[in-house]
Amino acid sequence: MIYSEVSGTLIKILVSKNQIIEEDTDLLVIECMKMHIPITAKKRGKIIDIFIKEGDLVSEGDKLLNINYDI
Amino acid sequence: MSWKKELEEKLIREKLSENLGGEERVKKQHDAGRYTIRERINILTDKSSFHEIGKISGSATYDENNDLVNFSGSNFIFGNAKIDGRNIVVGGDDFTLRGGSADASIREKHLKCEQMALSLQLPLIRIVEGSGGGGSVKTIETTGRANVPEVEGWNLVVESMGTIPRVALGLGSVAGLGAAHLACSHYSVMVKEKSAVFVAGPPVVEQIGQKLTKNELGGYEIQLKSGAVDAAVDTEEEAFNSAKKFLSYLPNSVYQLTEQLSTEDNPNRTSEWLIDAIPRDIKSVYKIRPIIEELVDKNTFFEIGKEYGKSIVTGFCRINGWSIALMASDPYSYGGCWTSDTCKKVQKFVDLAETFHLPVIYLVDCPGFQVGLDAEKKGTIKEGVRAMSAIWQTTTPWLSIIMRNCFGVAGAAHKRGSSYISRCAWPSARWGSLPLEGGIEAAYRSDIENSNDPKAELEKITTRLNKLRSPLRSAESFLIEEIIDPRNTRKTMCEFADLAAPLRKIGMTSRTMRP
Repeated sequence: MIYSEVSGTLIKILVSKNQIIEEDTDLLVIECMKMHIPITAKKRGKIIDIFIKEGDLVSEGDKLLNINYDI
Repeated sequence: MSWKKELEEKLIREKLSENLGGEERVKKQHDAGRYTIRERINILTDKSSFHEIGKISGSATYDENNDLVNFSGSNFIFGNAKIDGRNIVVGGDDFTLRGGSADASIREKHLKCEQMALSLQLPLIRIVEGSGGGGSVKTIETTGRANVPEVEGWNLVVESMGTIPRVALGLGSVAGLGAAHLACSHYSVMVKEKSAVFVAGPPVVEQIGQKLTKNELGGYEIQLKSGAVDAAVDTEEEAFNSAKKFLSYLPNSVYQLTEQLSTEDNPNRTSEWLIDAIPRDIKSVYKIRPIIEELVDKNTFFEIGKEYGKSIVTGFCRINGWSIALMASDPYSYGGCWTSDTCKKVQKFVDLAETFHLPVIYLVDCPGFQVGLDAEKKGTIKEGVRAMSAIWQTTTPWLSIIMRNCFGVAGAAHKRGSSYISRCAWPSARWGSLPLEGGIEAAYRSDIENSNDPKAELEKITTRLNKLRSPLRSAESFLIEEIIDPRNTRKTMCEFADLAAPLRKIGMTSRTMRP
């Protein structure tokens, strides 16, 4: 599970459901304090669920993505 | 007539104390994947270096002739030892005996351990498991009365925070006084999935309607983010290594200074890629840790509190062999803005550097304090001024290198106004009371609105103001002392470390640091 570590606006979703992602892939971009902060994959995995949509306001601790790392 | 008989009995008592809480309890400890306290001390310290104090203190039973029948040691074991050839004091709870609680403890041993480290001016490593000598509900029955709570000897703990390095390792469930000992340290470590830290555990918390597992209540993911604990590792061995590594950057006490280690890393080493490290697009972020690793002596960066107050990275490193406290902004967290947690992290870290006479290097990219309702609710400005005051109260040599943003009150906290600091900036530096972005429209509203082409007018004003905010213009007025080539930053840092070394002064700081 990936949770938001900052509060801001989700401006880009760069992945889609069922996509296989590699370590260090940018998954989402959150605009926070006027900066564009990418959320990156810590390891290889598969996107199971996306809980937000572009334009959503997110808060610290909000669920963003569910990733299965056991692939 | 010799005294052999007494010595034989002493040996018997020592042998019995090595049984800890008994075979069954020791097995339970091992089955849970945890070492006993004696095994922990053996792994942590240099071979055969542990000199235990009070090994035959505990509780004994005697027969009708007053001869010893059985003996059980107390559940706190301490003494002096060496790690990597250096003297330290180590004390730890024996969880196999009444879960480390006061029932099987001798309070004076805890006090003596604290006194020993403080008086001998040696680092103290506390290995905590259980309630750390605190009371349990059963205590009332064993003593026959309720006690008025007090923490005897806490004055020693407070004093030692300003005198000797204190490391605490939480290696199992840690509650009450045990949690207090873990939190009251310069550096604390827990083991993922095997340690949990809380004021009170799940059964107590259930009484207030919260049904949680140990991990959900006080596992590493909770306590690292809360800032109560500094690091989490996978194994007890890694926890011991972390403690050793942390101590390797510090003197034995405030009455000593760290020495320069030999390094094969060239102090004049240049780093070509740093010229491109900061994106020209001001909304784009960059990774700070590779920059830190590039600048410090190879493989010497030791990060402290990685999961807490993340817009500042803090840690120890070596620069040209000197031990240095390094802070750096991390734009990946709130663009580098100081949150309330960041401010608390800064307070603790600069106090730590000041206490043990470590010069500070600060790589600055701070657009200001975090703004917004969340930030206000968390008292950011209050913690912010406390962080600034902590910086202002330092006397240790200080170098700030402004890499990018430096705005507002939080930006101003890159330096203390009270005494000299060394300072320079990268050409990518931008500063001011407020960032221009978003402010131009308000400040030049009438010019823009009265223009035939408001968009073009806004662009014209922005271009004009951007030229004015070039760091070279600020340097012209000596508002910044020097603009350096990012590729030569290591050279600047090494020169600072060499200049700072003879300025470090031993002794306690006027304001002893709090945990």
